Amino acid sequence: MTTATTPPGMIDVTIDGRAVRVPAGTSVFDAARMNGIAIPTLCHLQNQTPVGVCRLCVVDTGARVLSASCVRPVEPGMKVSTDSEKVLNARKTLLELLMSDHPSPCARQEQSGDCELETLAKAAGILESGFQKRTVARGHDDSSLAIAVDHDACILCDRCIRGCDEVKNNFVLGRMGKGYSAGIAFDLNSSMGDSTCISCGECMVSCPTGALTNKGVVGTAIAVGPGAEGFEAEDLLKIPVFKGVSGTFLELNRGAVVKRRFRQGEIVCREGEFGSTAFYILEGKAKVSISTPIAHVRTQGGAKGLFKRLTSTLVAREDDKREEETRDRTIPIDAPVDLAYGNPVAELGPGDLFGEMTCMNFYPRSATVIAESDVIAYEMLRNVLDIMLKNKTFRAQLDETYRRRALENHLRGVPMFADLSPEFIDYLKGSVELQRFAPGQVIVQQGEAADSFYLVRIGFVKVSENYPGGELVLAYLSRGDYFGEIGLLGGGVRTATCTALDHVELVRISGNDFREMVGRFPGVRTGLEAIAAERRAANQQRMQMVDSVPIGQFLSQGLMEAQSLLILDLQNCTRCDACVNACADAHDGITRLVRDGLRFDRYLVATSCRQCRDPLCMVGCPVGAIRRRNSLEVIIEDWCIGCGLCARNCPYGNINLHPFEVMAEDPEHAGRKKAVIQQKATSCDLCTHLKEPSCVYACPHDAAHRVDPKTFFAEMLGQGSVK
Amino acid sequence: MPGDFRARRGDVIFDDLRAIQLRHGFLPKAELEGLSQRTQTPLYQIHSVASFYPHFHLVPPPKAQIRVCADMSCHLNGACELRADLERRFAGSRAGEVQIRNVSCLGRCDHAPAVSINDQIFTDVTAARAEQIARSAVRGDDIREPHPEQVRVTCKADPYGEAEKYGVVRKLVQSRAWDDVLARLKAAELRGMGGAGFPTSMKWDLVRKQPDRVKYVVCNADESEPGTIKDRFIMTHLPHLVIEGMIIAGLVTGAKRGIVYIRHEYHLQEEILGEEIRRCYRAGLLGKTILGSDLGYDLEMFVSPGGYICGEESALIEAIEGHRAEPRNKPPFPGQVGLWQKPTVINNVETFINVPQILARGVDSFIAQGSNGSRGLKFVGVSGHVARPGIFEVPMGTPLREVIFNHAGGIRGGRQVKAFAPSGPSSGYLPASMVDVRLDFKALADAGSMLGSGAIVVCDDTTCMLDMALNAVRFYRNESCGKCVPCRVGSQKMADLLARWTQGGVPEPQYRADLALLDDLAQAMSQTSICGLGQIAPAPIQSVLKHFRAEIDAHVLRGQCPSGICFTAASRAGEAQRVGIRP
Repeated sequence: MTTATTPPGMIDVTIDGRAVRVPAGTSVFDAARMNGIAIPTLCHLQNQTPVGVCRLCVVDTGARVLSASCVRPVEPGMKVSTDSEKVLNARKTLLELLMSDHPSPCARQEQSGDCELETLAKAAGILESGFQKRTVARGHDDSSLAIAVDHDACILCDRCIRGCDEVKNNFVLGRMGKGYSAGIAFDLNSSMGDSTCISCGECMVSCPTGALTNKGVVGTAIAVGPGAEGFEAEDLLKIPVFKGVSGTFLELNRGAVVKRRFRQGEIVCREGEFGSTAFYILEGKAKVSISTPIAHVRTQGGAKGLFKRLTSTLVAREDDKREEETRDRTIPIDAPVDLAYGNPVAELGPGDLFGEMTCMNFYPRSATVIAESDVIAYEMLRNVLDIMLKNKTFRAQLDETYRRRALENHLRGVPMFADLSPEFIDYLKGSVELQRFAPGQVIVQQGEAADSFYLVRIGFVKVSENYPGGELVLAYLSRGDYFGEIGLLGGGVRTATCTALDHVELVRISGNDFREMVGRFPGVRTGLEAIAAERRAANQQRMQMVDSVPIGQFLSQGLMEAQSLLILDLQNCTRCDACVNACADAHDGITRLVRDGLRFDRYLVATSCRQCRDPLCMVGCPVGAIRRRNSLEVIIEDWCIGCGLCARNCPYGNINLHPFEVMAEDPEHAGRKKAVIQQKATSCDLCTHLKEPSCVYACPHDAAHRVDPKTFFAEMLGQGSVK
Repeated sequence: MPGDFRARRGDVIFDDLRAIQLRHGFLPKAELEGLSQRTQTPLYQIHSVASFYPHFHLVPPPKAQIRVCADMSCHLNGACELRADLERRFAGSRAGEVQIRNVSCLGRCDHAPAVSINDQIFTDVTAARAEQIARSAVRGDDIREPHPEQVRVTCKADPYGEAEKYGVVRKLVQSRAWDDVLARLKAAELRGMGGAGFPTSMKWDLVRKQPDRVKYVVCNADESEPGTIKDRFIMTHLPHLVIEGMIIAGLVTGAKRGIVYIRHEYHLQEEILGEEIRRCYRAGLLGKTILGSDLGYDLEMFVSPGGYICGEESALIEAIEGHRAEPRNKPPFPGQVGLWQKPTVINNVETFINVPQILARGVDSFIAQGSNGSRGLKFVGVSGHVARPGIFEVPMGTPLREVIFNHAGGIRGGRQVKAFAPSGPSSGYLPASMVDVRLDFKALADAGSMLGSGAIVVCDDTTCMLDMALNAVRFYRNESCGKCVPCRVGSQKMADLLARWTQGGVPEPQYRADLALLDDLAQAMSQTSICGLGQIAPAPIQSVLKHFRAEIDAHVLRGQCPSGICFTAASRAGEAQRVGIRP
């Protein structure tokens, strides 16, 4: 009771029989807590405006119904019961309702054992809910690199919404829908990764259940040791790029970023190594280069018989010019600079971020980085890089560096763009848009209006066409490749769908700029039109081919993908292995052929390059060194760094690594050279240096043939003839 | 605060969204992104609102969107069969052409079953007619029909008759006897006619005493409870009393602005009230200087973007503010902190018309209009299995038997009354034996029910009461805003549980456990839900358990439906259609 003795501005109430004096305006929840009486809650956090939606904090004030104590201000003389039987029963039922839909144990419970709902339910003795479970799952959203979303674990407490909104002022998250189908949504119900979320982590930190949890990068905390200091969350928060990020979130990601010091001459990272981190240089200069010899494997013809010599050597393209190698091109690497073919060395300095592809997509390192002076850099894992990349200022700074240092090379890297005037290149440098896409995100959709031309800056883009019963992959595009010209030059409609295969960054040239470009530089138009016509023809041919092949075993074995197969007629084959030996003989004792593989009818399809139509080997090359000639033979560029990713990606095991001993700079002793083993990828070259593939030539039983599957199997596939 | 969108006035959002929808037929993403940029409204806020109201389409709608009213009166008049029939008729139609869904009560309970096709409402619908209209819509024809000719019905509640209207306002502007108005309303014991029955004089007095300079008056014309159709009638035939009541509320409480919040299914009433408002402006009864005095009052219409929950007064306020219609935690009440955080009078349409009546005729004559000791008149809607469904103006205190048998013509087809709901699902069902209960706040409360909004729904002896209880809880589930746990999750779990019962074959121990669980759930919902929707949702099944327990036992334990409604192929097919939460 407020009595004559109650000081002004104070209110006297009774909570669970105890007389309590609190300032006017205090909520019953706070009044109880201030006096040591804990009221359970799920939706209330001390740093957020109370909303009273979970209703767990209900108390009995003697009114018609119970009151949510977090939103109920105390009133003079109020008599509150926080633990009457009525209150406890109601709370228990509420928990039982929530538990009936809860995917127990949820991600939070599994990660850290602190799902607030499960903890409260357990304390209330709820083991199993008597209510029916939700029948239609609400789904997961794994699109964000930093935060996993499990909508089924969401109890709509609104804590994330208030965290995003009133705590961090980011305004990304809200409720969507109505009633039992309500849920949380980002922007206009985008996936979290595609939304305007900046990965500040406040929602995840605010979430009481496993609906929003830290993804982390499993088992890959960066080792801290001499030269590498870890950070406390509070140190990180002082760095401008982390301003606005939740401290608790950074705390959870501790170990995902370290500050490293490299002495002059020390290797920061080595080409071909697998890694998962990116570096951001704070101080000092570093040299980025490719140390693997810039050369490809050549197999010399002629030497046969008893006096076999090693016939494979490394040669650069000056000495062994292959098809379509008419122009110098730059070597794309995972840094804001590209390397020149003739002199693959460049310098990195403060403000440069490198290793983005390795970090985001787990590709091997594309180049070797050595500290030229003492270097101080942040080394970070994907989740931290993601936070940084979502910072608008940092992003703008990176984009500016890219425009300044590498964009021109990229534009000039498109062969047809060689004719562009320097002024126009300068104009484009300012007018192009830099865009980012998350894995699986559609960049252009078949059938949509074409309004821009794209150049791939980072990552891989899958080009596919709709086909009855699924999609057909037409090509994979990587750094330096471009797309969108067919739609712009042709009917104004996209003829294929382009999807980001991984973390993709693109340079977008608007339709207007593109039209001006082809208008002013006729050479560009002719070149692009030629390529567009070529691509269209190839696509058409492919569609026809697919139409003519019956779906079944042939397809399921991937044979349809092949354009050239080595087949062994098992009725003639005596398993003498002469073919295998001949292949080894022709390639320095390293066979590129294994007499094993899939069977189709009475033929064994030997493991040797199939010149696939969906060349998976080409996805992921960190330096873009694997390509195809027009003959579709897989060709390895001179700047292959021997990381072996293509060999791992080939589903048929047909790419091998060929080791060579070469003299290379000794990192331990500057200026000195030492012998090291370097690897180069090789695949079946169809023995183009010989009249006939040596395996076919060597077969004593006329059992080995290299064939175009469509022609060869045409009869078996029930077709008359196939071109 | 820079970047703080919260301070923004959100009510423009509906106009913007409606404009976009008018242009495109739905709300395309690119347009919403443009709207966000233009108005500095976060994307999430636009989406949270657009996805809340059934009025807005986030994807292109089909050419013919057929929505069959699924609630109480329509349910009693063959809505299930109508929908099943329509499903058969359009079984082969292409995706994007015809879509058949259920919809919550359209407010045409006296002409059941009602169907909405592309937001046009059709009543007394047969499957053949609905098919014909939908096929025209698919062809792209205009399916709008002109409003039927309205004959003004003379009501006893109108104190003016042929005489000059707005006499009370004219006098009040002269006398300024505000306290006298409150005293008379108190003496007449006028209570809210929307359902809750809160004393009107207390509400007005509270707002009057607030020191704020800005105050509002809101007329709640969003009646959406199944069976409730009386406000539609009042707005059609007594628009001047609605407006006069609102002007008086403004004058007495010091509010300078009034808003009529009308449900979007009431196009005709929107026109009638709009016309009346314009007439008042022309006559100087509205505007900055009422009848040349220094008193000012502006009145406007606000068309609801839809949903039963908008009838909850604080949810209604949220809707006007351009938010999701989620009820607020109370206290504070709208009388203290209402629309745009200002003190606000919110009353039902019928409450407002009683005010000029009391003031014009005097308290005593108002009271004398009631019977059996009750005060005043009451508009009731009678629907369901009656011979002459409709809206009737009866003295308070009239026995329901008289309303059902004399006014509404008794039960159709000479059948017997089995049960009746005095006021839609919220009042629960009373058995035929209680049909002599009087239409009165106290009498109905004593009977374990309530006067509510006077939405009398009558069930004949072929009705399955478990089916009716399930129908009611599904209505609450569909209309729950989802803000608080007990209502959002509880209404779904209650519907699940009752649906399981209608399937039968539950072992007795399980049934006993279910009954205990249902009891706990009902307690939790009625005790902890934020607003009346969740609090009242258990009422229908509780009333059926109380009065028709044997019928439920037969279903659950023996797999028998005494009325032959459940356990039939039709009912199972209907059940299959209802999977998911938007039936």
